[in-house]
Amino acid sequence: MPANSLLLSSSPSAFAGGSTRKVMAAVIVALLPTTVYGIVLYGVPALLVVLTSVATSVLSEWGFRALIRKSVSIGDLSAAVTGLLLALVIPAATPLWMVALGAVFAIVVVKEFFGGVGANPFNPALAGRAMLLMSFPAALTGWTKPFADAVATATPLGVYKTAEQALVQAGSTAADAASGAMAQLLDQLGASDMGGLYWTMFLGNRSGSLGESSILLILVGAALLLALGVIQWIIPVAMIGSVFLGSWALGLDPVLAVLSGGVVLGAFFMATDYSSSPMTPKGKAIFGVGAGLLTVLIRRFGAFPEGVTYGILLMNAITPFLDTLRVKKFGFVPPAKPAKEAAK
Amino acid sequence: MSTKTFRGGAHPPERKERSAELPIERVEQVKQVVIPVNQHFGAPIQPLVKVGDSVKRGQKIADSDGRMTCPVHASIAGTVKKIEPRMQPNNVEGLCVVIEPDGSGATEFMSPLDGFACTKEEALARIHEAGIVGMGGAGFPTWVKLAPPPNKPIDVVIANAAECEPYLTIDERVLTEKPGDFVEGMAVVMRLLGVKRGVIGLEENKKHCVAGLEKAVAERARGAAIEIVLLKTKYPQGGEKMLIVAVTGKEVPSGGLPMDVGAVVQNVGTFVAVCEAFRDGKPLIERGFTASGGALESPKNLYVPIGTVIADLVPEVLKVDEAKVRKVIAGGPMMGVPVPNWTFPVQKNTSGVLFLDADEAKAPAEDPCIRCGRCMRACSCRLSPALLNKALEAGDLDLAREIGVLDCIECGTCSFVCPARIQLVQRFRVGKQLLRNKIAKEAKHAGK
Repeated sequence: MPANSLLLSSSPSAFAGGSTRKVMAAVIVALLPTTVYGIVLYGVPALLVVLTSVATSVLSEWGFRALIRKSVSIGDLSAAVTGLLLALVIPAATPLWMVALGAVFAIVVVKEFFGGVGANPFNPALAGRAMLLMSFPAALTGWTKPFADAVATATPLGVYKTAEQALVQAGSTAADAASGAMAQLLDQLGASDMGGLYWTMFLGNRSGSLGESSILLILVGAALLLALGVIQWIIPVAMIGSVFLGSWALGLDPVLAVLSGGVVLGAFFMATDYSSSPMTPKGKAIFGVGAGLLTVLIRRFGAFPEGVTYGILLMNAITPFLDTLRVKKFGFVPPAKPAKEAAK
Repeated sequence: MSTKTFRGGAHPPERKERSAELPIERVEQVKQVVIPVNQHFGAPIQPLVKVGDSVKRGQKIADSDGRMTCPVHASIAGTVKKIEPRMQPNNVEGLCVVIEPDGSGATEFMSPLDGFACTKEEALARIHEAGIVGMGGAGFPTWVKLAPPPNKPIDVVIANAAECEPYLTIDERVLTEKPGDFVEGMAVVMRLLGVKRGVIGLEENKKHCVAGLEKAVAERARGAAIEIVLLKTKYPQGGEKMLIVAVTGKEVPSGGLPMDVGAVVQNVGTFVAVCEAFRDGKPLIERGFTASGGALESPKNLYVPIGTVIADLVPEVLKVDEAKVRKVIAGGPMMGVPVPNWTFPVQKNTSGVLFLDADEAKAPAEDPCIRCGRCMRACSCRLSPALLNKALEAGDLDLAREIGVLDCIECGTCSFVCPARIQLVQRFRVGKQLLRNKIAKEAKHAGK
């Protein structure tokens, strides 16, 4: 009989065979369609942004952990996911040194300073984007036209907001300003009616961040993650639903609100980030609704045309509280109310 | 028939096909039996025999008159050679009576008793005297379960035929080979409790047992209303609480017992033991179990005297590939206890012995929790394992208690699904102990 060679590890002795690496690999695969489309739209600069962001993220995680003498963790692919996500939420024309700076900030400051994978309270890619946007507002809103070499333009949300503000300042009524702004947007995207506009926005031939424009391809990736059980439906549905309803309540076109900016990419790939979003179903619902409503409020009343980044980051901050909204355990018995009983 | 189930759970690879078709083999000749004195959940009992005594098969060799106890009987005729601590399948040493056979085959059973004609007191006494405990794993004395206090009316008797642990097929074989005895034992228990409704909870993967069971109910239930409920094949469907909620829709309250929702649950083997205790006067001295695993040349369903040492079955009955074996488990892979060798005896609650090879028995290193939430969705007790783990890591025992660490049934589903392979169940076991110590300490201070 073999002595001292048998495993005595505690039960269970069976494992499903999952790993952090497999989860992250699934996210990367799910992001490939929209990444490739972004490279098709914006060409070589987009490819360079993606490569720079991913490579810097992985290298900075490796380097930082080597520096503080922690085990190598880049094999779990979470740094690569952060790098890829950061690339997808910035303009394709962002200078590469800024991309690298954003990646280092995302990985070292936002992720590793808090303890690494699973421990970061804020979404690293979005925090990286927020840092870049604050530091280099011009570069981070330096949009280029799809299929045109470095022709500057504005995003649909930007076009609309700028036009509306100009019309209001010129003395138009709110309603006139809205319709005038919409006319300019139709013109910019070459659409003859709202149906055509929605369709163009859904397919993605419009300017914006590298990987946010094709709703169709983002949904393909999201469907994969949902099917694999990597993400749950609650946060994305709550967030997109509240963007739709919130925009409608504030008199904005709700369909356009969902299709434009980074709502769909953010809802499926950013707001579902494990580390920075709640694990409880109730928490997920509140998180999604909150992120959606904050997005709408920022878009309508804030200084920026887009609000997804801050909407999600603000909700990240209350995730620890949302995690206390646990499901009632099996056989839950409400605690007795001693005061009432004493009164009897 | 629609299938019922509970919320949560997981689907570990079943690997039952290896032994599901194999008839139960009876092992009669053993060179010794090592019978643990304490095989039940409850107060300890003492040996009634001493070294040198000659004992008959079925003779009581240990007992006590305390509550929550259950006697133990000699499983072979022979001579008591030693009474000393030996390793039990739960991996702790306990007092055991070692008997070597004398070849006489002398038997001393109780006289048969008609379970459908005797008084309830007689029936309860018979189940007590026969030393019957829950044979599914916990080893809870059956007679205690069948004597609920008067303020806890029982309205359903549930046979736990889920057998949700992977590899194990002994219940399935018993249902196939002895459905009549099983049903008769169940009917006796229903009569004893005065319960009108009996339910056999069967996982869907054992659908083929339904016809045989229906026939057995018609022939042997003496009119007791026993229905068969198909359950979704999902782990841990055979967890007592999960079985009850699937069958009745009622959740056993936190900290409570099945009787709080009017249910009594017994394992398949336990009902067969009840049948034999009445019909043959035979105490619980033999049981079936499944031997399986990749390091075993041919898996088996065996029926052996209680106290049979696994090592004594090697290699004549069980051919263990010693080069391949990486982990030996008393029980199933999800809740069974890993043991350092196979010199332990089969006891009343041993339902399986697994010899796992390197592919089956991995001990992967833990990674940090990525908060994916798989454990939260899989937990059959809805305990938020990831958050519980975090509370315990922070040493916050009060929060751990609030989340429900004491409600954890240690089914292992959370550890099974965890992509970071965190040993959640093991951490919760430690957490439970720390919390119990704290509660005891606080009670002591409050008492002063």
